[in-house]
Amino acid sequence: MSSPPPPPSDSANHPDDEHEKPDVSTVPPGAVAVFQAPRAVRPGGNGKPNGRPDIESPFLDLFGAEARRPRESTVEGEVVGESPAHAVPPNGVERWQPAAAPVSPPPAPQPPQPSQPPESAAAAPPAAAPAHRRRKQHKPKPAPAPDAKRPKHKERDPAQDLAITEIAGHLTYTPNTVTAWYWLPEVRWAFRPDGEREALLMAIAEQYAGLAGFRLHLRRTTRPFPADEWARTVDQMTPAPLPTVPGAPSWADHLVAAQHHLLSVNHAEGQTYLGVTFARRSLGDTLTARVRNVFGKGVADGEHKRMARMVEQFDEVLGMFGMRGRRVTAGELEWLLYRSVALCMAPPAHLSPVTSGEWERGDLLALTEQIERYRTPYGSTVKLVNRLTGEERHVAILAVGRMEPLEIPERHEPWLHFHERLPWPMEISARVDILGPGDSFRNLEHRLRMIRSQQLDYAEHGMDAPPELERLAQRALHLGDEMTTGLPIDASRTHGWHRIAVSGANRDECLERARRLIQIYSRELRIALQHPKNQEWLAREFIPGEPVANTGYVRRMPVKLFAAALPQAASTVGDRRGDLIGRTAGTCRRPVFLDLHFPMEVRERSGLAVFVAEPGGGKSTLMGALGYLAARRGIQVTLLDPSGPLARLAAMPELRPFSRVLNLTGSEQGTLAPYALIPTPLRSHFPDGPGGDREYEIAVSNARAERRMLVQDICSMLIPPQVARVASTATLLRHAVREVPAEEASTMDDIVACLRNMDDDHAHELSHLLMDTAEMPLAMLFFGSPAPSTLGSDAALTIITMAGLRLPDLKIEREYWSAEESLALPMLHTAHRLAVRRCYGGSMSSRKLVGLDEAHFMEGWRSGRSFLVRLARDSRKWNIAGLVASQNPRDILGLDVQNLVSTVLVGRIAEDPEIASEALRLLRVPVDVGYEQTLASLSTVDTSSSARLGFREFVMRDVDGRVQKVRVDVSYVPGLLTYLDTTPAMAAPAPLDGHVAEPEA
Amino acid sequence: MRLRTDDDIYRARLVYLGPLGYTLPIHLPYSQYGLFVLLVPMFMIVHYLFTFKFDLFPAWEIALAMVATSYIFRHVDPDRPARKVIHTALTDWRRTRESSTERREARLIASRIRIRESLSAKDAL
Repeated sequence: MSSPPPPPSDSANHPDDEHEKPDVSTVPPGAVAVFQAPRAVRPGGNGKPNGRPDIESPFLDLFGAEARRPRESTVEGEVVGESPAHAVPPNGVERWQPAAAPVSPPPAPQPPQPSQPPESAAAAPPAAAPAHRRRKQHKPKPAPAPDAKRPKHKERDPAQDLAITEIAGHLTYTPNTVTAWYWLPEVRWAFRPDGEREALLMAIAEQYAGLAGFRLHLRRTTRPFPADEWARTVDQMTPAPLPTVPGAPSWADHLVAAQHHLLSVNHAEGQTYLGVTFARRSLGDTLTARVRNVFGKGVADGEHKRMARMVEQFDEVLGMFGMRGRRVTAGELEWLLYRSVALCMAPPAHLSPVTSGEWERGDLLALTEQIERYRTPYGSTVKLVNRLTGEERHVAILAVGRMEPLEIPERHEPWLHFHERLPWPMEISARVDILGPGDSFRNLEHRLRMIRSQQLDYAEHGMDAPPELERLAQRALHLGDEMTTGLPIDASRTHGWHRIAVSGANRDECLERARRLIQIYSRELRIALQHPKNQEWLAREFIPGEPVANTGYVRRMPVKLFAAALPQAASTVGDRRGDLIGRTAGTCRRPVFLDLHFPMEVRERSGLAVFVAEPGGGKSTLMGALGYLAARRGIQVTLLDPSGPLARLAAMPELRPFSRVLNLTGSEQGTLAPYALIPTPLRSHFPDGPGGDREYEIAVSNARAERRMLVQDICSMLIPPQVARVASTATLLRHAVREVPAEEASTMDDIVACLRNMDDDHAHELSHLLMDTAEMPLAMLFFGSPAPSTLGSDAALTIITMAGLRLPDLKIEREYWSAEESLALPMLHTAHRLAVRRCYGGSMSSRKLVGLDEAHFMEGWRSGRSFLVRLARDSRKWNIAGLVASQNPRDILGLDVQNLVSTVLVGRIAEDPEIASEALRLLRVPVDVGYEQTLASLSTVDTSSSARLGFREFVMRDVDGRVQKVRVDVSYVPGLLTYLDTTPAMAAPAPLDGHVAEPEA
Repeated sequence: MRLRTDDDIYRARLVYLGPLGYTLPIHLPYSQYGLFVLLVPMFMIVHYLFTFKFDLFPAWEIALAMVATSYIFRHVDPDRPARKVIHTALTDWRRTRESSTERREARLIASRIRIRESLSAKDAL
C-alpha cells in the first residue's frame, strides 16, 4: 500500500533550481483585474504591447468575453478604448480547459454574476437557508461533461455540510468544539543575525507552550498578488507620466505590461492562520444550538459571552513578541474556509480580502457549493473541479514523515517555510496537540516502561536485547529528566500531523511537483515527506473543523522544533508604490517594487541608493533600468555613464523625444569648468527672516569653500603625481586658489594666471605644467567658461557619457597612468558634479533622479568625499534620488555617509573577501558567518549552459532595513533589455530573461 | 539550536517473545497477535455463514488469519498504523492499484454556516 512510483522526470531538473518556470495556472489572468491608467490614449487597434489582450482568461468564452471584461476600470470613470482584438482568447488557452469537461461557449453572453439555479438546488432546503443563500440561485448550470469521460456518480446526496456550523467573530463552532482563530503576520527571516532568529523561535515556542492542553490547527494559504491595486497606486503616484509617442507603448500599456508580468510569474502572498480548539461544548449547549437552529438563530448569546471571556487569555498569549497574532475577522475566516474547500484552486475573480467591496457576508461560503471532488480508489491525487469556471485542479497531500535532527537558525531553513522556494503555491495544514510538562512526562514514562519491560523480557528469556532498546531507554530517561527539571518551554511537547498540499493542472504535473518537493525536502532538510493513500480525507483535513484524516505520521516533537517550522516566515523587501524591478530570490518569491523617492517623501530619510558589485554584476543595467522607469514616470533623470552604453536608452522610441545625450569627450571648452559646477545657493530657497539669512550666508560660504577644494583637487590631478607630492605644490596651489575669487564666474585660467604672476620659480613651473595639460583636447573642458545652457532642465532624461575615454585601473600607481588615463580622473570628478548640477536648476520639491556610475573614482580625494556627503544631505531637501554605483563599498563606508544611505543593492562579489565583508557591513548584515558566500554565489552561471546569464541578482537593503536577495527582472518592458545590453554583442542574441517567459505572448 | 523529534522513542520495536521458559522461535509485535486474535473469529463467522457449523479446531481459519495478518503487517510501519492500512484496504478494496475511473465524492459545502461579525449579540445575522 505504498505510493506508486512517481513518473520519471527530466534528469536535468534541480528541485531548488531558480531557473524553473513558475506556476501560472492558479491565477487565471482574467480572475484578477488588470488596471489600466486612466489617461491613456491608445493608437487605435494595435496599441498594446506584444498584441496581448488586456485580460487573458480562458473562461471569457464561458460568460461572453465582452460582458466579463470590467469596462469601467478607470480611476476617473473614463472608459479606455479597447480594440476588438481583446475578445480573442490568447494562445495557450488550451491548458486552461479542463481535460474531462471542455467548456463550450454558452448560447448567450451572461454577466459575471451567474443567473441560473444550480443543479443541486435540492441539496439545501431553501426555507431554512440564511439570507446569503439567495445568491446561490444565481449560479449557472455547470457545463455538461462529454459522455465519454463522465465519471461514475454514486447514488447518494452529493452535498455534505462542513462540520463548522457557525462563525462568530474569530470563533468557529462545530457541534462539539469551539476554535478561536488568529492571524499570524509574516516575520522576516533571511539575513537576520542568528541571535535574533533564535530569540524569535524561543518566543514562539514559549507561546506554544502557553497553549498546553489545546489542539492547534496551523494553516497557511496563499493569495495572488493584487497587481491591479499596485498599478492603481503607481498611477496615482505619477501625476505627469511622459506623453505618449506614436508607435511606442503608452504609460497605460506600460502599467498593463507590468501587471501581466506580475500575474504571469504568480507571486502568491502567504497568509498564516492559527486556530486554537479550546472548548468542548456541553450537551446542553449543543442541544440549545440545535433547537435555536430550527428557528434560524444559531448558537445562544450566553455561550458566545462565555467564550468571549475565555478567549481573552489567548489574545494575551498570542499577541506578544513572537507570533504577534491578532484575531481574524469573520471575512478572513470565510476566505480561509473557501480556500480550504477549493484547495489550491484559483480564488474567485476580483477577490482580495483588502478590497472585497462587492462580496457580501456569506457569498464566499456559497461559492463552495460549486467545488466538486473526485477520487479514484488508491488514487494519489484528488481532483477538484469548479463547475462555475470549469477549472480543474489535481491536489496531492504529502505528510511529514521521519525527520532527522535540524539546526534551525544556523544551518537549515524553517521546515514549513522551506517549500516556498519552489515556484508554485502550496498550502500547509498542521494539526497538533500541545502537551504540557505533566502530560508529556506521563506519555514518555509510559513509553519508557514499555521499553524496560521489553528489556526485561529479553533478560528473562536469556536473550540479548537489541542495543537500540538501551539507547532509546537512555534517551527517554534523559528527556524525562529535561521535562521534570526544565522550564515549560523545554518540557512541552507537540504531537501532531503536518501536511503540505501540492497541486497541478493535471495529474502528471501534480505528481511531478510532489516528487520535486519530496526530493528537495529529503536532500536539504532530511525530512521524508510521504505520499499516503486516502488523499481525499487528507485534503479534507485542511478545512477548519474537519476531523484529522489519519492517525499515521504523527510527529512528536518539542515545542521549539514546532516553533521552528515557522510557516509565517517571509521575505518582503521594497515598498509597494514603486516600479516593479524584479522579485525576491531567497527562500520565497515576492515581487519587489522600488520607489527611489519613497525614503525622502515618506520615511524622511536621505535618498542615496548605493549599488556595489564587481564588473559585470549588473550595476549599469540596473541603473539604466531604474532611470528608464523613473523617466517614464515623468521624473527628471540624469545618468552619468562614463563608458557610454546607457546612451542607447535615448534611442528608445518612447523616450526619444524627451532625452538628450551629452558626450563630454566631444563637448565644448569650459563644459567642466570646476568653478561653475557648484551652484550658488539662491536666497529664495531659504526661509525668510534673520534665521534664513544666516542659513543662506552659511550656504554661500560653504559653496565657495567647496569650489576651492574642488579646484585644488582638479589642479592636483592635472599635474604629474611626482610634482603633486612635493609639499610646496600644495601650498602654492592653495595660495592661488585663495587669490582667485571662488565664484561661479571664475575659471581655471585665472588660477594659471595667478600662479604665473607669483614671484616663485616653482609657481611658474606649476603654471606651465597646467598649461601643458590644457593643450590636450580633453583638458580644454576644464579651462574657460561654460556655454550658458550646457544642461537645460527641459529634457526628461539626460545621459552624460564619456565615450572613448580610457578609465585607469586604480590598482596601478598614478605614475604609470598614460596621459589620457590621468585626464580621466578629473573628468570623472567634474562629470559627477555636472550631473548633479542640473538638479539644482528647477523647483526644490519636484522629483529628480541622478545616477552616477563608477563612483569609486571619487575615493581618496577630499572633494569626492564632500561631494557624496553633500549629495546625501541635499537629497532630502531637493528631493533628489541619488544612485551611486561603485565597485568597492569602501569608498561609501569610508566616506561616512552610511547613515545617509537609504537603499543598498549589492551584486556579485566573489573575488575579494575584504570587499565582500565591507559590502555586508553596508547591508548591515553580520560579517563572517557565511553570508560572504551568499554574495559570491549571486548571479551564478550554470556552467553546463553556453547561453548568457539572462538575469542579475542582488542583495538589497531597503529603507526600512529589510535585507533580501533580489532577482532583477525588467523583461516586461518591451525592448528595454536589448537597449541596456552592455555586453559586447558579438555573441548570439541571448534570451533576455531566461527564467521567465514572456507572459503568454 | 539543534532540534530533534522524540519519534525514535516511539519507534522502538516491542515484540512478544513467548511465555516464560518457552521462547517462541519467531518474535512478532504485540499488535500482530492482537490482529490475529480478531481475525480468527471473523474467518470462523465467515465459515459459519457458508457451512452453518463451527469446527472444533478451526485450522483453515487460523491459517488464513496468519496469512492475512502477515500480509497486512507488511504495510505497517511506525508511521502507518494497522488500523489505517485496513481502512484503506476496505475503502479501496475493489482495486489493487490506481484505476482510471473516478468517483465523485460528496461536495463539501459551507453555505449553511451562520456568520456573525463579532461575538457581541447585536451583529447576529
